[in-house]
Amino acid sequence: MNIIETKNLRKTYGDFTAVDGINLHIKQGSVYGFLGPNGAGKSTTMKMFLGLAKPTEGTFLIDGKKFPKNRMEILKEVGSFIEAPAFYGNLTGEENLDIVRKILGLPKYSVEEALDLVGLTQYKGRLARKYSLGMKQRLGLASALIGKPPILFLDEPTNGLDPVGIHEIRTLIRSLPEKFNCTVLVSSHLLSEIELMADDIGILNHGHLLFEGTLEELKNAARLKGFPTENLEDMFLAMIAVDNEQRGSRK
Amino acid sequence: MSGFLELEKIKRTGFWPAVFGGGILAALVPVINTAVREEVFLQQDGSALEILMNENWQMMAMLNLFFLVASACLLYHTEYADNAIQRMCTLPQKENKMFLNKFVLMCGFCLIALAIEGAGLIFSAVRWFPADEKILWNGVLNMGYAFVLLLPGTLFMLLISAACKNMWISLGIGVICVFTATMLPADHFILSLFPFAMPFQIFAGTVPAVLKNYWIAVGAECAIGCFAAVIFFKVRRLFS
Repeated sequence: MNIIETKNLRKTYGDFTAVDGINLHIKQGSVYGFLGPNGAGKSTTMKMFLGLAKPTEGTFLIDGKKFPKNRMEILKEVGSFIEAPAFYGNLTGEENLDIVRKILGLPKYSVEEALDLVGLTQYKGRLARKYSLGMKQRLGLASALIGKPPILFLDEPTNGLDPVGIHEIRTLIRSLPEKFNCTVLVSSHLLSEIELMADDIGILNHGHLLFEGTLEELKNAARLKGFPTENLEDMFLAMIAVDNEQRGSRK
Repeated sequence: MSGFLELEKIKRTGFWPAVFGGGILAALVPVINTAVREEVFLQQDGSALEILMNENWQMMAMLNLFFLVASACLLYHTEYADNAIQRMCTLPQKENKMFLNKFVLMCGFCLIALAIEGAGLIFSAVRWFPADEKILWNGVLNMGYAFVLLLPGTLFMLLISAACKNMWISLGIGVICVFTATMLPADHFILSLFPFAMPFQIFAGTVPAVLKNYWIAVGAECAIGCFAAVIFFKVRRLFS
């Protein structure tokens, strides 16, 4: 069963088309890897899901709820981390999470739980503005994970983390559906990263959805089209390059 | 509950020292002025508070307006500085409700500042003027009226701060509004309805008919401000 479905979702900013009529199908309880180079439209799509950007055309359903009619109901079910950590720099990590907790009406212990999940407990009393980039990233993740929402939107969550941190967060994301019975939409511009986390993959380039399916299906599709399949990164780059070429020739 | 949440957000921003510092600074205006010009004040006709308000309120109102401008800018700067507003917008709460909570918080701070200023005025009246049994009540009436006239300015300044992501722009607009207000003649009713000019009006010595007109004007401006806020947040979402 799909928990998120989009129908011809499109977003334009003046002449620029950020997302061009995409149809996504995200299964409940899965980790969906949203892959694409910078500027492909991944963040814009997530922003539309959260109501931060208004779709120019098309519709989407999240857990059977339609946007914009049920925006508040959708937001109650969603934890999100978009583009960069968003926080109050004058507050500590713990105080930042406490504000989110109060708005969501969660019990007090959920703050400790979220801090513990991302490994930020020992720095909870430090001002968020004094956090390193990796710690800010973890705070953003904790803010998304607080209260264990059934749906998570994570936009490049491993940016700024060191290799150990990247591994920890990947493992955490991979374990979320099993641990908390949630669905995760995670974006990245690295196929190597997505393949370690995701059950399904959606590849986006210049706002177009080039592929949607499992990693195996992706490899098969690539093989049929004559793309290299030994190295996933090369395969991804070849797909993007061909799409860019076709797009160039169409212009 | 939500008002307290807004209060939590401004921890360590220097808001509390600004409220008390601003209030004390404004309260010192009548105290120092009366101390150095005692004879001039005592020769004037009218009640102690009327004289004190006439002689000091322009400066006190100006300080109040600067406090209002700075605090409104600061309230939204905490939201924009590290992009906290984005996280707030992805939570199940409406932006205009957050705006309203900030407005309530600002009103609370204005009340604190005005209470300190009222204490300064009453102290001056008791210390240098002949005894007046109704001084406390008159003080409350004057400060209450000043509070009501501050409301439209507070609302519009907060709206300006919400609209400008760069704090310096909202601060600049606010300062221009305050200086514009000081250039408007206070005795011209229509011009004095400018939200930033209204706080220069005083209760003492004003006839009830004029007071009523200001009450109506405050109500209308607040309604317009609230309506403008609702429209603004809707439109901003549409164009995001």
